[in-house]
Amino acid sequence: MAFSNEQLERYSRHIILKEVGAKGQKKLQAAKVLIIGAGGLGAPAALYLAAAGVGTIGIADADAVDLSNLQRQVIHATPDIGKAKVCSAKQSMQAINPEVQVNTYQCFVTAANVMELVADYDFVLDGTDNFPAKFLINDACVLSAKPFSHAGIIRFQGQLMTYVPGQGPCYRCAFQNPPPADAVPTCRQAGVIGAMGGVIGSLQAMEAVKYIIGQGDLLCGSLLTFDALKMEFRKIKLPRRDTCAVCGSQPTILAAFDYKQAACDLKPAT
Amino acid sequence: MKLTVAGNLKEFADGLTVAKLIELEQVETPEYITVSVNDEFIASDSFESHVLADGDAVEFLYFMGGGR
Amino acid sequence: MADRVEFAIDETVDITDVVCPVTFVKAKVALEELDAGQILAIRLSDGEPVVNVPRSLKDEGHQVLKLADNCDGTYTLLVRRMEED
Repeated sequence: MAFSNEQLERYSRHIILKEVGAKGQKKLQAAKVLIIGAGGLGAPAALYLAAAGVGTIGIADADAVDLSNLQRQVIHATPDIGKAKVCSAKQSMQAINPEVQVNTYQCFVTAANVMELVADYDFVLDGTDNFPAKFLINDACVLSAKPFSHAGIIRFQGQLMTYVPGQGPCYRCAFQNPPPADAVPTCRQAGVIGAMGGVIGSLQAMEAVKYIIGQGDLLCGSLLTFDALKMEFRKIKLPRRDTCAVCGSQPTILAAFDYKQAACDLKPAT
Repeated sequence: MKLTVAGNLKEFADGLTVAKLIELEQVETPEYITVSVNDEFIASDSFESHVLADGDAVEFLYFMGGGR
Repeated sequence: MADRVEFAIDETVDITDVVCPVTFVKAKVALEELDAGQILAIRLSDGEPVVNVPRSLKDEGHQVLKLADNCDGTYTLLVRRMEED
C-alpha cells in the first residue's frame, strides 16, 4: 500500500530516519499495541503511539476521569471529568491521528479476560497502578509469549523493563511475588510528580516503537531506573531466575490468576 | 574491602553480609527488597548468610507499584 | 560522454506536488520500493528541491546518475537504488 502525500507529510520525521523509513512506518501501521491503564503511564504512551501511526491501539481501563487524575494524565482534560477514561483517551488519540484504530475495553483486567485481551496484540504496555495487576499482566504475557513493557512510578522515581519471549527475564524473575497490600507505598499514598509518568510512559512507547520496527536494543535483561531528584538514569542488569514460577525451568504458574489483595487497592483512584 | 553499591564504590569492613549491608545502606522497605550481587539474584533467605567479597557489585531492586 | 549514456528507468515519481521535507521523503519512499540496482526517475521543481533532494539521496547511500533540466521549471533526477546496509 502506497502512502498518500498527507501520510508522507504526517510521518515525514519518521520516514526520514534510516532506522524507520517507509518500511518501518508500514510496520507501525500494521502493528497492534495494547495499553492497560489509561493513567499516568498510559496517557503519554497512548498519545505518542497514536501520533506515531501505530495502526491499532487497544486501551483498557475501568475508571472514569477524576479531577485528581489531571495533574499527570495528560490524555484527559478538565471537560472529560466523569467520562470513561477509555472514551476520553480515544477522543484525544483520534484528534491527534484519525488514522489510528482505537479499541476500548472499559473493564478491569483480570485472570478471566487477560488472556483473550492480550491475544489480539503484538505488544503490551503495562500502565497499571497495583501489584496484582502488574503480576497478572506479566504472567499472561509470559504464558502467551507476548512481549511487554513493565513500568512503575512513585514520587520522583520510575523504572521500566521489557520482556521479550524466549530472551530476557520476566518481571517475576526480578520481583517474584507482590508485596502485601500497603506494605509498599502506592502513588495514591505517596504521591508522584506528574512529569514522571511523561518520562517513563514515553520510554515505554519508545520500547514499543523499537520492538515494532526491529531496531536498537530493548530493555530486555535490564531494569532502567530513573531518579528525578538526582537526575540519574541507571541500567541495572537483570538476570533470569531459573526458579522463576512462571518463566523458569519448572514453572508452577500455568495459567493466569488473580491475587486476592485488599479490594481497596483495586478500586478506582480517587 | 571495596563494594560497588548501586553504582557507587564504597569502603566496608570485611565479612559484611547482605543483611548487614541492607541495614547500613538504610534501604527502604528492606523486607521487600530484591538484591543482586555481580548480576546474580540472592535469595532473600540467604541475606543473613551471604558474605560479600571485595570487589562485589551489589544492586537493590525496589518495588514500584504506581502507574496511574 | 557520460551525458549520452541512456539509463533504463524502472519507476518514476513526481515530487513537484509536495514541499520540503516531504519532497525528499516521497523520493526516499519511492526508492525504497525498488530493488537494489533499479533506477528511479524523479520529477522535481527548480530551487530548493533541486539543491537538496539529490544531496539527501546521496547521503542515504544511493547513486545519483543524472540531473536533466526539463526547461519548464522542473528537472528529472535519475537515481540508482543501492543495497541496504
